[in-house]
Amino acid sequence: MHIRLDDVCTSFDRGRTPVLDAITLDIAEGEHVVLLGPSGSGKTTLLRCLLGAVRPDRGTLRIGGLDPADPAQLRTIRRRAGVVRQGNDLVLGLTARTNALLGTAHSWGVREWAAVLRGGTPKRFAERMRRLAENQGITPQLRHRVENLSGGQRQRVALVRAVLPAPSLLLADEPTSGLDPVTSRAAVDTLREAEGVTVVVSTHDLAVARQFPRIVALREGRVCFDGAELTDRAAERIYRGAAAGAEVPA
Amino acid sequence: MSTSVKKGNCGPRVPVDDAGESRAADGAGQPPPAAPRRRRPAEPAGNPRRSRTLWLVFLVAAAAIGWSLHGTGVDVASLAAGWEGAREIAVGLFPPDMDGDLLRSVGDAVIETLQISLAALFFGTVMGLLLAVLMAGNIGAPAWLASSARLIATVFRSVPELLWALVFVAMIGLGPAAGVYAISLHAAGLLAKLVSEQLEAVDPAPVEAMRLTGASRKATGVLAVIPQARNNIASLVLYQWECNIRSSAIVGFVGAGGIGQSLGISMRLFRYQELATLMIALLLLVIGVDQISRLLRRRMGAATR
Repeated sequence: MHIRLDDVCTSFDRGRTPVLDAITLDIAEGEHVVLLGPSGSGKTTLLRCLLGAVRPDRGTLRIGGLDPADPAQLRTIRRRAGVVRQGNDLVLGLTARTNALLGTAHSWGVREWAAVLRGGTPKRFAERMRRLAENQGITPQLRHRVENLSGGQRQRVALVRAVLPAPSLLLADEPTSGLDPVTSRAAVDTLREAEGVTVVVSTHDLAVARQFPRIVALREGRVCFDGAELTDRAAERIYRGAAAGAEVPA
Repeated sequence: MSTSVKKGNCGPRVPVDDAGESRAADGAGQPPPAAPRRRRPAEPAGNPRRSRTLWLVFLVAAAAIGWSLHGTGVDVASLAAGWEGAREIAVGLFPPDMDGDLLRSVGDAVIETLQISLAALFFGTVMGLLLAVLMAGNIGAPAWLASSARLIATVFRSVPELLWALVFVAMIGLGPAAGVYAISLHAAGLLAKLVSEQLEAVDPAPVEAMRLTGASRKATGVLAVIPQARNNIASLVLYQWECNIRSSAIVGFVGAGGIGQSLGISMRLFRYQELATLMIALLLLVIGVDQISRLLRRRMGAATR
């Protein structure tokens, strides 16, 4: 899905604390982009904006030509999106398998509901589920309740949940936070392998960011870098704050 | 792919000093801390206005208590005068009547009480859970439905079981069925409130994660809200069972069946030895149900109440 933000502003406290400040950004369909920036720079808010969880105070926002401010169009956007978020947002008390299926819930018929409530996988998703679980190395864990899984395993379940519905927009908010290097690498690979899917990943980790073909750096709610090659010097400035608005390749 | 960066122009900026270093070097970009709230200056000790208020509160409270004691005729002298009557009842209780026929009928009453409590638990839970789901804010039922459910639950639980029992005894006559209806309604009202609070207290992150991928309210409720609150809800239902046993003894006094009805009859006929047997049976039943319920709740890992 093609993403276009034009002069988007959001704020807390009724306009007193800006979070996103006049963001203008264009992400082509199928493009893989990483949002880089220190914590608090507005990455999460930007991702939440794309799914209509945060309303811009100003500016226009179009996802695949659809307007998230319109409830019917927002539903379409959300149904075509997969989300991996920082921290843990799996449903405790359910198995890893059921959790992994939750992203497909909007498309279930009566039979599929019955299959899920019995603890199984609806036929339509069985093959894809088997493949994804195998890639992530969590096949044996599928039948366990998520509270019995390690942090890394849970994050992989969340990844499968996001990718299983075959979304055309994949958003990941700090998908590698709290993961060991091997698991982190696997998570990034899964996101990068999503061909033809528009992928937007947020991270504060430079090493993760450099694995993506396009880096958009945010600082204090503004885009301060947008390009493919991020030099160490430029990266330092993003974190230190000297380069705000200074380095934008044409 | 085109990109442009505009100069920011909404809202205030985080201050940046000459060296280009933001003040918030680590948590850079964090919203600036809100201005500290203005506090009321601390009142000096022995503030005359404050102590006057305290005295006023004390006087009003004392007047209210005195007025209530006088109005209800509570006084130690009348208690002492009634001592004889109490002694008579206490002596009359011993020894408890252990006649075979009586024990059989007490056994029947115990079973009836158990049946009342379980039947009422069934109806109360079905109605209560339905109301709770409609009431819980994070399930997102339409506003008119949520507020009607809240109203119904409030009516159900604010009318005491005894009053519901009188209503149902008048409607369908004496017997355990009236007790079942009375306790069901009260239990439904109580469970609706407690369960809806449990539902609202679940972790909102998984709920939002489902909503963000376009799941309906129904799907989110069934798969993200209820599973998280499942154990606590089961614990509440078991606790309600204990309450139902106690309630059934009370509603029995107005003829709504069970051991309470037998207690009422023995009391009115001054058969105190029979009364003693019934009291022992009730005590054993309450203790037994409490133990079973506590055991089950502990196995579910929920906090013991």
